[in-house]
Amino acid sequence: MLIAADISVAFGGFQALRSVSVQAAPGSIVGLVGPNGSGKSTLLDVIAGLRQPDGGKVQLDGATVPLGRPDVVAGFGIGRAFQVPRLARRLTVFQNVMVGARGQSGEKLSDLFLRPGRVARREREVEAAARDILRRLDLSHKANDYASDLSGGQQKLLSMGILLMAHPRVLLLDEPAAGVNPVLIERQIRFLRELRDEGRIIVLVEHNMEMVANVCDHIFVLDAGEVIAAGTPMQIRADARVMRSYLGQPA
Amino acid sequence: MTDFIIFSVTTIAIWSVLGISLHLQFGLTGLVNFGQVLPFAVGAYGAGFAAVHGLPIWAGALIGCGLAPLIGVLVILPAGRLTQDYWALVTLGAGEIFRLAMLNISGIAGGVEGASVVRLGDRTLAMVLALVLLTGTALFAFRMDRSPLGRLLRVLREDETLAATLGRNPLRFQLVVTAVSWVMAGLAGVLYAHVTGYVSPSSFMVIETFVIWTAVVLGGPNTIAGVVLGTAVVQLTGVSTRFIAQWSHLPSELVANLRLAAFGAVLVLVFLFRPQGVIPEPKRRYNADSR
Ligand SMILES: Nc1ncnc2c1ncn2[C@@H]1O[C@H](COP(=O)(O)OP(=O)(O)O)[C@@H](O)[C@H]1O
Ligand SMILES: [Mg+2]
Repeated sequence: MLIAADISVAFGGFQALRSVSVQAAPGSIVGLVGPNGSGKSTLLDVIAGLRQPDGGKVQLDGATVPLGRPDVVAGFGIGRAFQVPRLARRLTVFQNVMVGARGQSGEKLSDLFLRPGRVARREREVEAAARDILRRLDLSHKANDYASDLSGGQQKLLSMGILLMAHPRVLLLDEPAAGVNPVLIERQIRFLRELRDEGRIIVLVEHNMEMVANVCDHIFVLDAGEVIAAGTPMQIRADARVMRSYLGQPA
Repeated sequence: MTDFIIFSVTTIAIWSVLGISLHLQFGLTGLVNFGQVLPFAVGAYGAGFAAVHGLPIWAGALIGCGLAPLIGVLVILPAGRLTQDYWALVTLGAGEIFRLAMLNISGIAGGVEGASVVRLGDRTLAMVLALVLLTGTALFAFRMDRSPLGRLLRVLREDETLAATLGRNPLRFQLVVTAVSWVMAGLAGVLYAHVTGYVSPSSFMVIETFVIWTAVVLGGPNTIAGVVLGTAVVQLTGVSTRFIAQWSHLPSELVANLRLAAFGAVLVLVFLFRPQGVIPEPKRRYNADSR
C-alpha cells in the first residue's frame, strides 16, 4: 500500500497542495485528476522525492519513504515518469532503456577494471531485458534512433520503458496519454492493465476524465491543491461538485 | 628539426592528457570546469614542493597527483548542488586562488620566483614518458567511455534529475569523475614540471584553461580522438608562434596575442556551427531484434 498523507506544499505565498492525502493498493490503478494547476504533478514530485513538502509523509508497505531524496526513493521501488518526458536525448532509445536497470556492476570503477567478466555478464542481461521491454512497447524498430528523434507519443512510451527496467513496485505516471495518438493510447491502456495484473501500484495523473474512468479502479479529484472527491469512477461521475469544478475548464 | 618534433610531440601529449581529463568532465559528464589548469598546477607544484624541501621525485609526484583530486573534491562538494553556471565560476575562481597563493606564499615553492625541479635532460625520454602517460590516460578514459558508467555519465550530462529518479546519486558520480580526471591532470602537471625543469605561477594562468578548452571544443569534447586532434592543432599553432613571428617580422608578443584572439574566434565559430566539434560522438548501435 502506498500512502501519501497530509502533504502540503507552498511556492512562496502560493499554496499548491493543502494537506492532501491519497493512497493506492497493490494491483490497482489509481487516478489523480483535476484541472490544470490543481497540484497533480507537484504531488507526484513529492512522492518521488523531487520536492520537499512543507508537511506530510509518504509510506510504502508500512515503511517511511524519505522526503526530498529522489535517488533513495527510487531504491524503494518507486518510479516517476514526467509530464514532459525526461530522456537522455543524445543517447539512443536502446541506451536510454538500458540506463533504467538498477545494480549495474559496470557503473563502479573498481568493477570496471578489476571484474571485467562480471561487468560483461551483467551488461548482457541488461541488453536482453532492454530488448524485451522495447518489444513489449513495440519500439524495437526505433532502438537505434536518438531519443530526441522520437515523436512525443513514442517519447512517453520510452520513458515508461526506462522505468520498467527497474521493476518498480510503484509507477507514478504523469499524463502518459497527453499528445499521444489514439492507437498508442490503446496500447498504453492495455499495458497499464497488464502491469496492474502483475500486482504493481499505478498512480495515473490524467487530464482526460473519460480515459481515467475507463482504466482506474479508484480516483482522487484535486482542485486548487485540495482533494475534493474520492471514489470509484462511477461515484466520481455522479458527484455534482466534481462536475462543477470541470465546468468552464475544458480539457 | 628532430628537437622540434620531440618538443612538439611531448607538448601535445601532455596537453592531450589535460584534454582527456576535460573530456571526462565536460564531454561525458557535462561538468563545466573553467579551472582545468588547477589540477595541472597542483601536480606541478607537488614536484616544486618536493624539490624545494629536499624530497625525492617520487614523493613530489605522489603529493601532486594525490592532492589534485582532494582539492577537486573540496571544490565540487559545496558547488555540487549549484547549477552548472556557478560550477564554472567556482572552478575558475579556485584555479586563480591557488595560483595567487603560490605567488604569495614563497615557502611552498619559491613564490613569484618559482622553483627549479630536476629537469629530464634526455628529451627523448621525456617524450616517451609523455606518450606513456597519454596512452595510459587514453586507455583508462576509453574503458570508462564505453562502459555502463560512461552511459550513466552521459545521462547525467543530459538530465541530472532523470539520473536521480532512476536511483543514482548525481553528486556521487560527479565526485568520482572529478577525482579520476583530476588525478590525470595532476600527473600531467608532475611530468610538465620535470620536462620544463621549473615551476612558476606564470605557467598556470587562466589563459591555459582557455587553451585547453579551445582544443577540446575544436576537436570534439565527446571523443578521445577529437580531444587529441584538437590539442595537436592548438599546440602546433602555439609552438610555431615564434617561427611565424620570425617569418612575418611582426613582434612575437603581437603574434602570441593574435593566436589567442584566433582561438577565441575558433571557440565562437565551433559553438555556433559545429557544437559537437570536428569528431562527433559516434552512435553506439545495439541489436534489438534477437540473440
Ligand atoms: N516550481 C514552481 N514554482 C512556483 N509555482 C509552481 C511550481 N510548480 C508548480 N507551481 C504551481 O503550482 C500549481 C500546481 O502545479 P502542478 O502540480 O504542475 O499542477 P497540475 O499538474 O495539476 O497541472 C500551479 O498553479 C503551478 O503554477
Ligand atoms: Mg501536471
